[in-house]
Amino acid sequence: MKVSFYLNDVLVNYDVNPNEYLSHTLRSHGVKSIKIGCNESTCGSCTLLVDDKPAMSCSILTAQIEGKHITTVEGIQEEAAKISYYFSEEGADQCGFCNVGYALVIYALKRELKNPTDEEINDYIVGNLCRCSGLQSQMNAIKRYLKED
Amino acid sequence: MRANEYYRASSLEDAYSKLQEDPKNVLLAGGLWIKKMGQSYNALIDLSTLGLNKISETKEEVIVGSMVTERDFENSPLIKSLYGDAISFATREVMGVNFRNLATIGGSIMGRYPFSDVITGLLPYDVTLHFYPEQEMKLEEFLLFRGKINAILVDIRIKKHVGKGFFKKVKTTALDFPIVNIAVSEVNDKYTIVVGARPMVAAIAHKASDYINSISSPSRDDFVKAAEIATEELQFLDNKDASKEYRIDLARVYIRRGLEEVSK
Repeated sequence: MKVSFYLNDVLVNYDVNPNEYLSHTLRSHGVKSIKIGCNESTCGSCTLLVDDKPAMSCSILTAQIEGKHITTVEGIQEEAAKISYYFSEEGADQCGFCNVGYALVIYALKRELKNPTDEEINDYIVGNLCRCSGLQSQMNAIKRYLKED
Repeated sequence: MRANEYYRASSLEDAYSKLQEDPKNVLLAGGLWIKKMGQSYNALIDLSTLGLNKISETKEEVIVGSMVTERDFENSPLIKSLYGDAISFATREVMGVNFRNLATIGGSIMGRYPFSDVITGLLPYDVTLHFYPEQEMKLEEFLLFRGKINAILVDIRIKKHVGKGFFKKVKTTALDFPIVNIAVSEVNDKYTIVVGARPMVAAIAHKASDYINSISSPSRDDFVKAAEIATEELQFLDNKDASKEYRIDLARVYIRRGLEEVSK
């Protein structure tokens, strides 16, 4: 079946199976920034933005996003570079597998929540797992990024 | 998960007739449970273009379309304003934001999931489910109903009474299913006690609720007694997450704390 949607503001038209998930479609079209971790709607590595809201691409059927706007890390390069800078400064960058999903969820957090408390930040990022670290360094990096104008 | 066809329904009538065509056709809400179960279907019936993703209110009720996402539900000022934010709070206990932006209220309810935070959080209140073809059911009646519901959930209607609520999800890690779920409400001077994930789907502890409602100014001892009655009248079982005894111990403590909190 044909599905059309906006990928980082560019209209694309893909031929997909009815039971094909978005993470698979995007990776098979060369968007390798999408990381498939658990593939069970839990780890958050495959997070991208659907109409500016973070969502797990391993669990959205490509057919479900007809006409919607999908943002991957390629679509937020400037902000991702800033997040990446604070991640490396704070030592939050280890194996890197979760970073892309993190960058997108942190980007969305900054736009959705004004002056969030630590608890609100934790609630927002809890669906993105990092297996390397204790998450404190991520928290420090996020807070520095949120302070930027 | 396998499916032969993805069908975009153009109306409720269209979705319903497609559903009747083949027992292997299924309604698609958020799609998260369908993915997890990994079964084979003929057609997935997409309900996302039928305008069921809106929250509105009348003088007496908040009306939540079945395709409203859990995230939009928990963030809605109308939902937050109900029962001291208890219903929104329960929904925020489900996984992470990137999950709740996909999961829908309709999907959360129609699955009658034993682990459901959303169902446990709603059950103490006056909630009615509206279906197509025209049919109404109270949430409790729906949970106790043992047949297949051959209808499409259109919306749920939550009565806007003044009252207080308590919700506790006991879990071992942030993203885990509950070991046990407790919800307690006080609405119009009546208490309602609900326990979910026992590990069966949430149920109202009627005897315990009646007991506490029969006492004019209940004391801490009365709350302890009510919690004991609730764990005796409801069935608790072992599973891989916890033993029956552990669940009962947890439920007794959190029912008592819930009653204390909503009685303040």
